[in-house]
Amino acid sequence: MAAGALAHVNWESCLIDPQRDRALETYARRKMGIPFPTLRYFTPVPWLARALVDLHPEFGLLMHLDLHQADVLTLVVSQENSCRFCYAAIRMLLWAQGMSEARIQRIERKLSGGELEPKTAAAIGFGRHQSRVGPQRAGEARQTLRDAGFGDAEMKEVAFVVGLTDFMNRVNTIPAIPSHTLERMPGQFHMRLLRPLIKRILAKQRVRGEATPLGRPPAYPYGRLIEAYAGLPIAPVLGRTIEDMWESPILTRRAKLLMLAVVARGLGCEVCAIEIGQALRQEGLDDAAQSEVLSHLDAPGLDDVERALVRFARETIWYEPAVLQRRARALRDMLSGPQFIEAVGVASLANGLCRIGGAMVMAHP
Amino acid sequence: MMPTLAVGAALVITAIVAGALYRQWRHTQVLRAQLEAAAADLQHLQQACARLAPAGVVQRLITESAEAERTAAAERKVATAMFVDIVGFSAISERLEPSVLVRVVNGYYQRMSDAIDEHRGQVGSYIGDGIVAYFGALQPNPWQCGDAVRAALAMRDAIRAYNVELERDGLPPLAIGIGIHRGVGLAGLVGSRERQEFSFLGSAVNLAARVQALTRVHQVDILITEAVRAELDKSIVLEPMPAERVKGFAEPITTYAVKGTTADRRD
Repeated sequence: MAAGALAHVNWESCLIDPQRDRALETYARRKMGIPFPTLRYFTPVPWLARALVDLHPEFGLLMHLDLHQADVLTLVVSQENSCRFCYAAIRMLLWAQGMSEARIQRIERKLSGGELEPKTAAAIGFGRHQSRVGPQRAGEARQTLRDAGFGDAEMKEVAFVVGLTDFMNRVNTIPAIPSHTLERMPGQFHMRLLRPLIKRILAKQRVRGEATPLGRPPAYPYGRLIEAYAGLPIAPVLGRTIEDMWESPILTRRAKLLMLAVVARGLGCEVCAIEIGQALRQEGLDDAAQSEVLSHLDAPGLDDVERALVRFARETIWYEPAVLQRRARALRDMLSGPQFIEAVGVASLANGLCRIGGAMVMAHP
Repeated sequence: MMPTLAVGAALVITAIVAGALYRQWRHTQVLRAQLEAAAADLQHLQQACARLAPAGVVQRLITESAEAERTAAAERKVATAMFVDIVGFSAISERLEPSVLVRVVNGYYQRMSDAIDEHRGQVGSYIGDGIVAYFGALQPNPWQCGDAVRAALAMRDAIRAYNVELERDGLPPLAIGIGIHRGVGLAGLVGSRERQEFSFLGSAVNLAARVQALTRVHQVDILITEAVRAELDKSIVLEPMPAERVKGFAEPITTYAVKGTTADRRD
């Protein structure tokens, strides 16, 4: 299988070295049923590696949204974000489920040609809007979903799948995780032999979620977002990911909050900005200092790492892969390996959460 | 005899039908390949379009009907407009052979465009020796003024480096004037039905053009308005210029010359 519609997208050489972590790999294999080789790139930051496994929607996180529709959304958003890795991964997933390359191409043609049933068209329109425009005017995009017949819970799941894909796309694009292995897999003889087995495993592992109580919402930012998902299995998993990110000692909480604040400002997410502003005040950064950082991406009180992270965070909002990867390389050269990977994770999560938050909280009447 | 003839005839008919079916299958394969290539081109175009017009406009162009696109092909936004041109271009153009002039101008365009791209701006159009660029017109960019001024500083450095090359080739050096202003305008695709291009329209753009013309009056290379200055951080070193009246604006316009950054001064 070729790189498909993203064959023209320039992709730099990978910025990070894989490191094996047997415990994490076993965890991923149990949850997904198949090995997750690229997890090795992220093992130095355990919360991020776990998030890449736990937040996969098809493994028990969706209760209402059709799984095929979720796959199609992932395909469209990955294409919008020019993520060669995720695009190859979702095409590989479709192939493993039994679709031929010709059928996948037919689906892609339908997606760009507009011959879609109204619900799929609305979901795809929403995904494209969130990726191209962000949370601004999310109310209109949300209304389009409602008009097409989506209920509240189903809309939340659409927003989650889109935001999560925005997160995954950045996690894999920023460090230029190699996509060629995935792109070549369907053409390999042994993969063709294994395909029926992979199909059976995926069919067994891809399960619908069940109603799950939220428990305690995160005390730090994004509490309102998590509460908006209360009752769905997404809420506790997303909440735990956010809590684990705060607990991780690799980058300071203040540095992470600054990155989140920059992404919220860049995307115009008012809800995220308010919550993050409160948390930054708890970290000792008053309103004037916050305003200085967010207006100019610099302030006298920032240390060199914070300054670099703040500037990098804005690069992740709208980007072209190769340009972003070159700028990420400069950041990598000034940070430790785990710091760089955590920076990738925080910036990516910020982009995903702001897009989900903008759609589900900010746009909510 | 009869059964043999019948079998022979059946075989011939079968061969003809099989041949026709094979030709049809080949024809279908070719058509499918062409369709796939066209679909891939369409996808590339959609993505390329997103780099040429505001994201919201592209989104609407794709999802809405042809009738709707005529009314929805622009959106109101706050963006920063930059005008650039070569000082004394007419005199230079008269002195150089056309082929040399084209080479010099193309080198100038390339360097200016690279500096604009590098700082997240978009070249709107080339007008003669002039360039119109926008920051924050395609996607929201709260840091558009800083990006525009840093792009202008990068353009100043690029021209200095280019002049070293031109001098080595025995060609006259270039000097540029840059005007920058931020304001509300309409961003979108404008033009006739046959030819449309991305543009940012409004008095903010006109003022940026007037400010660029003021670089000649104040004998400086980069001028910005108060609206841009208000958004800049302290690392940009500015020098206030006397307010000047410009065509189309009732009040005199206060501008600031961009001298450099505090980091440059330390160096």
